[in-house]
Amino acid sequence: MKLNPEILDMDLPEVEKQVLRFISDYVQKAGAKGVVLGLSGGIDSCTVAALSARAIGGDRVLGLMLFEKETRTTEDIKHAKLVARKFKVQTETIDITDSLEGLYGSIPSFEPQDKLSKGNLKARTRMIYNYYYANRLGRLVCGSSDKSESMMGYFTKWGDIAADISPIMDLYKTQVRKLARHIGIPQAIVDKPSSPALWPNQLAEDELGIPYAQLDLILYGLERFMKPEEIAAQLGIEKNVVNKIKQRWLSAEHKRRMLLTAKLEYRTIGTDFRLPRDPY
Amino acid sequence: MKEKFDVALAQISCKPGDKQGNLEKIERMALRAHKEGADLLIMPELSLTGYVVRDQIYELAEEIPGESTRYVQRIAKSTDLHIIFGMPELSKNAQATIYNAAVLVNPNGVVGKYRKMYLPTHSVFEERRYFRPGYKPAVFPTNLGKIGLIICYDIFFPEVTRLARLEGAQLIVCISASPGVRRAFFEVLTIARAMENTAYLAFVNLSGIEDGLQFWGGSRLVGPTGKILVQAKYDEEDFVLHEVNYADLKSVEPFVPTLKDLRPELFDKLKKLAEDL
Repeated sequence: MKLNPEILDMDLPEVEKQVLRFISDYVQKAGAKGVVLGLSGGIDSCTVAALSARAIGGDRVLGLMLFEKETRTTEDIKHAKLVARKFKVQTETIDITDSLEGLYGSIPSFEPQDKLSKGNLKARTRMIYNYYYANRLGRLVCGSSDKSESMMGYFTKWGDIAADISPIMDLYKTQVRKLARHIGIPQAIVDKPSSPALWPNQLAEDELGIPYAQLDLILYGLERFMKPEEIAAQLGIEKNVVNKIKQRWLSAEHKRRMLLTAKLEYRTIGTDFRLPRDPY
Repeated sequence: MKEKFDVALAQISCKPGDKQGNLEKIERMALRAHKEGADLLIMPELSLTGYVVRDQIYELAEEIPGESTRYVQRIAKSTDLHIIFGMPELSKNAQATIYNAAVLVNPNGVVGKYRKMYLPTHSVFEERRYFRPGYKPAVFPTNLGKIGLIICYDIFFPEVTRLARLEGAQLIVCISASPGVRRAFFEVLTIARAMENTAYLAFVNLSGIEDGLQFWGGSRLVGPTGKILVQAKYDEEDFVLHEVNYADLKSVEPFVPTLKDLRPELFDKLKKLAEDL
């Protein structure tokens, strides 16, 4: 197998069709009135908002624009609104700064210098808003995590990953960009560097330490059981880089498979209680 | 025996775990097939229960004959149809030994059953966890000719269809629950199995989505020269009907004499190499 950029090409109309089918089928089966999603103005959430609107109609899609003073940018707000307008997605803008500050103030040992813990608090607070609206409106929360970030564990446990359905989680970031372009997401959004917006000027590629174009090829190879040395040789990079990514991918499984208990009884939740997930 | 008749391919989506609901759907399909003049109705793999039922299989599996086959027999009687459908079969002699079965029912009862030989247990599939594999090909003489049954992943192994053909099957029926990522394989294999065996092949797949598995539909009747005679839509429920005419088999065999040209001595070699793989 040759790890070149073309390997991430897809039959885009078919992928779009299958994602739309997935969203509309699940919403219908769950008896939900629609979906709620966090609309940050980034590539992933804009793509999922647009796909949801195509699947079930924009009037059944609510994009929550959950901004706060430390990470808000006029560009993100502009992009979120642009996509909402183009795909006729309903939106609600909420400034969550006061909620966050209330939380910071209520935690006796709160440490503002601990960026990660504070950032995760933001991601989990956004999740609370998503689920509040979903409960109120009888809708599902639609997640926008992609495969690159999910494999790398580059997300907040119980935070941005929390959703009832995650329609693009089987697509690498590079593939999400292709799909986004295909469905008509404006180029400025497609080209914009990704950020989880947990603190100011945070950029995904800086933190991951590798451009998505390269990361996705490494993950693609690992997904297909290629050996790290083979991947490294093909991509002309250090084996150590691939090994680190592999390690990061494997060590984050606890964030993707979340319920874990000790095996004590006959059938155990999360282990061998093997039940269908679909709502009956 | 009828030399020609119409076969109805009912590409449905199932409600997992809801046997009564799925039986009612089989009934609706039978009424339609009867109304449109078909003699044979084919439903997808595990169409009694849905495909992704996981541990609930232990509650859903039934003996054959049993309550559900009797229900389908009543449908067959009232519509004067032969009906093939899929269900989890509980062994008569054990509590949790289950087969992934295809059942052929006519107005008089169960004509025969086939237990899936190749149980996919890789990628998204976990059949071997729940099912015991069958060991026998299944071909049944009926007044609609000799019908051979296979199930889904069996089609990847040409010997299963070949065994049915060697037992005289004129129409091979492959019931299936194939998700979209496998479509390219089935689109070729359904045609290949018909061609290499110079037989009719009816492939009936699920549609709908179960636990994120997006079944691709695309059910088809393939003629003995590999021509797709009728094909159902991709990805959604559909119902198509087409004539099977066994007179067409006669002219194909002299033209593509794959049965005449079989070389049994190669099978010993095949067996040996397969054992040593």
